[in-house]
Amino acid sequence: MTDLMIEADDVGRKFGDVAALDGISLQVPRGTVLGLLGHNGAGKTTLVNILSTVLPPSSGSARVAGHDVVRQGHEVRRRIGLTGQFASVDEQLTGEENLVMIARLLGASRAEARQRTAELLETFDLTAAARRRASTYSGGMRRRLDLASSLIGHPEVVFLDEPTTGLDPASRVALWEVVERLVDDGTTVLLTTQYLEEADRLADAITVLSEGKVVASGTAAQLKADVGQRSVTVVLQEPGDAPTALRALREAGLSPLHDAERRALTTPVESSRQLAVVVRALDEVAIDFVELTLHEPTLDDVYLTLTGRQAA
Amino acid sequence: MSTMTAERSDVRRAASGGPRWHGSSVFTQVMVFAGRSLRALREPRLLIMSLIQPFIMLVLFSQVFRGIANGPGFPAGANYIDYLMPAILVTTSTQAAMGAGAGLANDLRNGVLARFRALPVRMVSVLVGRSLYDLVRNTLQLGILLVAAAALFGFAPAGGVVGTVSALALALFVGWGVSWVLIALATWLRNVEVMQMVGFVAMFPLMFASSAFVPIDGMPGWLQAVARVNPLTYAVDASRGLAFGHASLSSVAGAVVTSAVLALVGGVLAARGIRRP
Repeated sequence: MTDLMIEADDVGRKFGDVAALDGISLQVPRGTVLGLLGHNGAGKTTLVNILSTVLPPSSGSARVAGHDVVRQGHEVRRRIGLTGQFASVDEQLTGEENLVMIARLLGASRAEARQRTAELLETFDLTAAARRRASTYSGGMRRRLDLASSLIGHPEVVFLDEPTTGLDPASRVALWEVVERLVDDGTTVLLTTQYLEEADRLADAITVLSEGKVVASGTAAQLKADVGQRSVTVVLQEPGDAPTALRALREAGLSPLHDAERRALTTPVESSRQLAVVVRALDEVAIDFVELTLHEPTLDDVYLTLTGRQAA
Repeated sequence: MSTMTAERSDVRRAASGGPRWHGSSVFTQVMVFAGRSLRALREPRLLIMSLIQPFIMLVLFSQVFRGIANGPGFPAGANYIDYLMPAILVTTSTQAAMGAGAGLANDLRNGVLARFRALPVRMVSVLVGRSLYDLVRNTLQLGILLVAAAALFGFAPAGGVVGTVSALALALFVGWGVSWVLIALATWLRNVEVMQMVGFVAMFPLMFASSAFVPIDGMPGWLQAVARVNPLTYAVDASRGLAFGHASLSSVAGAVVTSAVLALVGGVLAARGIRRP
C-alpha cells in the first residue's frame, strides 16, 4: 500500500476563462497534516473539492488513499471525510439522525449505525443533545456534529476546509486537539486555513497558495528560514552614536542597517547567540541603548512576503 | 461549548482502522433519503398547510358551480361533487408536483447535500428518495381530501370504491410523472424563487383552461381549443371516467403513458443535472 495518501499532479481547474487552480502539485504522506494556507479566493476550497471528488479537475490528476479521484471516485469517497467551510448537517434532523443517516449511506447496518453513532455522540460531547434537531444547535455544536459526520466511516483521509472559521477561541483549541489525536491514530489530514497560528500548530508541512498557484511549501521552520531571517534591533539612547555603532557592528562581522527615524540599528543574525556579539560590540565602544530585541520571523512574514498581499 | 472532552482513546476508536463498511445499495440510499424527507411530516403543520388550498377549492367550487350540473355537456344524472372531485384529485396532485421543483431547489441549498456529494452514493437516489416522499405526502393529502368530500359533500361516484381508488391512483401517477419534469428543471436552475414562479405560472392556466371544473362544451371557442390541447384535460377526463366507472381504456392508457414518458425524460435529465457540482 502506498504511503502517499494524497498526491496531486499538476491539477488545474477553470471556471469559464478564470483559472481557479493553475498547476497544483502536492504530496501528503500517511498520518501527517498538510496545512493549505491562503487568503480568500486563493483556490483552497476548489482544491479540497477536487481532492474529495466533488469537483472534477480541468487538467492534471490526483490520487487520494491510492485511488484516482476521477476514475475511482467511488473508492475515494469510501475512504475520506469532508468537513466543509459551512457545517453540512441536516437541520431538520436530530444530531443522532444525522449520524445514523451518514453511517447507513456508507453501508452500516441499522445496529452498526446506531452503535457507531452513540460512540461519536459521546466523543464529541453531544449525547445530551442527541435527540434535539440540529437547527437548535449552537455554531460550535454544529461544527462538532459536522466533524463527527466526517469521521463516522473511519476515513483514512480527512479534509477540513477552514474548520475553525467562526469558532470561539476555546472551541478552536478543542478542535485542534481532536485533529492532533486523529493524526496520532494514523489518519491523514488536509487542513485549509487562513490562520497562520493554526497551520503552525497543526501542520507537519505547509503549502501556501496564492491565486491558484503554489507559492511555497515546506515545514513551518523551513518557510520561516527561507523568508525572514532572524534579526536584532537596537534602539540607541543617543541618536548621534549611530555612526560609531554601525562601525562597531560591521567590525564584529555583522551587516547592520540604520533606521534614523526610530534611532534604531537592525542587523540580520544567524542565531540567537549572536545577540551576545551585538552586545559585546556596543559595549566595547561604550554605547548605551534603550532597547534590544531579537525578531523571529513568523508565518505572517512568510505569508505576506510570498503572497504580496495583506493577510485577512 | 468550550468542551470537546474527547479522550484520546475515544478519538482512536472514533477514527482508526480505515473504512469498515463497503457502501450501501441504491435501494438503501433511496430509503434513507426518503426517510430523511419524511421526517418533515413529524410537523403536521406542513401537511395541514398543504391541504388548505385544495380544501378551499373543494368547498368553493362545489357550492359555486353546483348549478352547472344542469348545463351543456354535463354528464346526465351526476352530482357536481362527483364531477368535481376527480378533477380536484388531479389538480392537487399536479400542483404538488409543481411544488416538488421548489422543494428540491430548497433542498439543494441545504448544506447536507454538499456532504452527500463526497459520500459513496449515487446522487440520483437523492432525487428518487425525494420523489418517493412527495408520493407518500401526496397520497396522504388526496386521501384526506377524499374522505372529506365523501363525509361533508356526499361524494359517491357511480364507479364506487374501485372507481374512486383507481381515480386516486391515476391522479397520483400523473402528478408523479409531472413532478420529474419539475425536478429536472430544479437540478439545472437551482433557484427556489424561479421554481416557485414556474410552478405558479404553469399551473393556473393549465388548471382553468381544462375540463377540470366545467365541461369544455360550455366554453368560448378559443378556450375550447386551448382546453382540448391541454394535457391536464385528458388526465382529468381519465380520472373522472374511472370514478364514474365508465373510463375508456384509451384515455387511461393515454394519461399513464404520457406520465411515464414525462417521468422518464425528466428522470434522465434530472440524473444528469444533479451530478453537476
